[in-house]
Amino acid sequence: MTVNYKSVFDIIGPVMIGPSSSHTAGACAIGRAAHSIFKTKPTDIVIHYYDSFAKTHKGHGTDYAIISGILGFAPDDARVPYAIKLAQDAGINMTFIAEVKASPIHHPNTAIIELKNQQKSIVVAGCSIGGGTIEIREIKMDGFDIKPRGPLPILLVPGSEADHHMITKLLSKLTEVTDQKHYQAEDHNLYEYDLDRQLQHTEVQKLAADYGQLVYLQGVS
Amino acid sequence: MYMHVSELVAAAQVKQQPIYELMITQEMSVTHASRDDIWQAMGRNLDVMAAAIEKGAAGEGVHSKTGLTGGEAVLLKKYREKGHTLAGDTVMEAVQNAVATSEVNAAMGVVCATPTAGSAGTLPGVLFTLKDRLDLNRDQMIQFLFTAGAFGMIIANNAGIAGATGGCQAEVGSASAMAASAAVAIAGGTPEQSSEALAIAISNLLGLVCDPVAGLVELPCVKRNAIGVGNALIAADMALAGCTNKIPADEVIVAMDKIGKNLPDSLRETGLGGLAATPTAVRIKERIFGHHPTAQA
Repeated sequence: MTVNYKSVFDIIGPVMIGPSSSHTAGACAIGRAAHSIFKTKPTDIVIHYYDSFAKTHKGHGTDYAIISGILGFAPDDARVPYAIKLAQDAGINMTFIAEVKASPIHHPNTAIIELKNQQKSIVVAGCSIGGGTIEIREIKMDGFDIKPRGPLPILLVPGSEADHHMITKLLSKLTEVTDQKHYQAEDHNLYEYDLDRQLQHTEVQKLAADYGQLVYLQGVS
Repeated sequence: MYMHVSELVAAAQVKQQPIYELMITQEMSVTHASRDDIWQAMGRNLDVMAAAIEKGAAGEGVHSKTGLTGGEAVLLKKYREKGHTLAGDTVMEAVQNAVATSEVNAAMGVVCATPTAGSAGTLPGVLFTLKDRLDLNRDQMIQFLFTAGAFGMIIANNAGIAGATGGCQAEVGSASAMAASAAVAIAGGTPEQSSEALAIAISNLLGLVCDPVAGLVELPCVKRNAIGVGNALIAADMALAGCTNKIPADEVIVAMDKIGKNLPDSLRETGLGGLAATPTAVRIKERIFGHHPTAQA
């Protein structure tokens, strides 16, 4: 069974700038996921909103929240409400589109983020399921079209089959891998691991020391 | 991981441990964090709650950018000082705390989502009133939050806590149920009574829709937190008196989930139905966002 709320701090938390945990803190978390994947500064940001997000993004502060996440801010960062101005000052182009069609990932709180700069572009489709908790249901990066079940944390590791065996071994000492997928783009491979619990910061650092390209996505609490 | 209220209550009875203790043990096993780190982290959340309650009722209070909400925690405080409240000071102190927190949230201040930001006034509203009423110390207040979290996780994993998927019942309803069950525990009730309080609290708010005016977390959200605290205290007192809900907590949670799924889109945080569709709300929306709300960058 897939459990979205794994920690007591998913429920008593996060500490955040108002006004909405799903449309503000959760939007920030989707932005942060995109930030973790892109890893650098974008020149262009396009946000597509669907359903409830499309109808209420302005009232809920979703625009600044999602941009603040893309800039790497935490949801309780005092700069969150000023994120749009900060991004403008940094020369980033931003477009917000309230889509009228239904969410392609089938959730009323859906945001699809496109980030690009001169080197690369990514697409991240996330939904905010309540209380600041999010799911990531599609990621397009480096030619891969990654489709996780949704719940975080998720670990993505580009690499060979040998790397995959090593990662599997390392993860087995840390937590249960609840789902695992293999993706191919031309001659490159990428492995997705859905984890049963959030890793401690030091545990992620240890993995990243050997696998610098890894992407670790977790919630905000 | 405790997935059902019945399971949590049974574990508390078998292990002869309070629910907050079971919650801390589960958290340690899930996150691999130390007991001390987990305890301290909850203490920091408690401090955020205290600060919001104080800020919302201090001086002239706080006011949102739109002017739709703010300053009413201060009105409540002044009214309470006269000593003639109809509902009694415990209830009205809880209402003041809830409104203060929710006004801070609407004014883009810092809050702790419990379980959501829209419902962030309810749990602290009850807790800080019980602090005065039952003379709770800091450790007991932290215990209260772990107890509430244990019940809240079960609600969230079985029914969800987003207004966009479940309506306001999933937000203020869940918050009120968490507060009711934790209030029973901190007042010395049994785990079974906590479960009854949860069942009563949710049952009383089933069907509550999410209809924010102009899509803002202001009207009616701030005042929905006032009914959240009143309902929590009533449900807790009823359970402590020995009243039972007859329909068990786990079945009530499933009912809430089903009701949420059957709510039309217009009543699930789209700002299109309910109070948001009233002529006054439409005028408010036009005043704030103009005639074409999606055209503004």
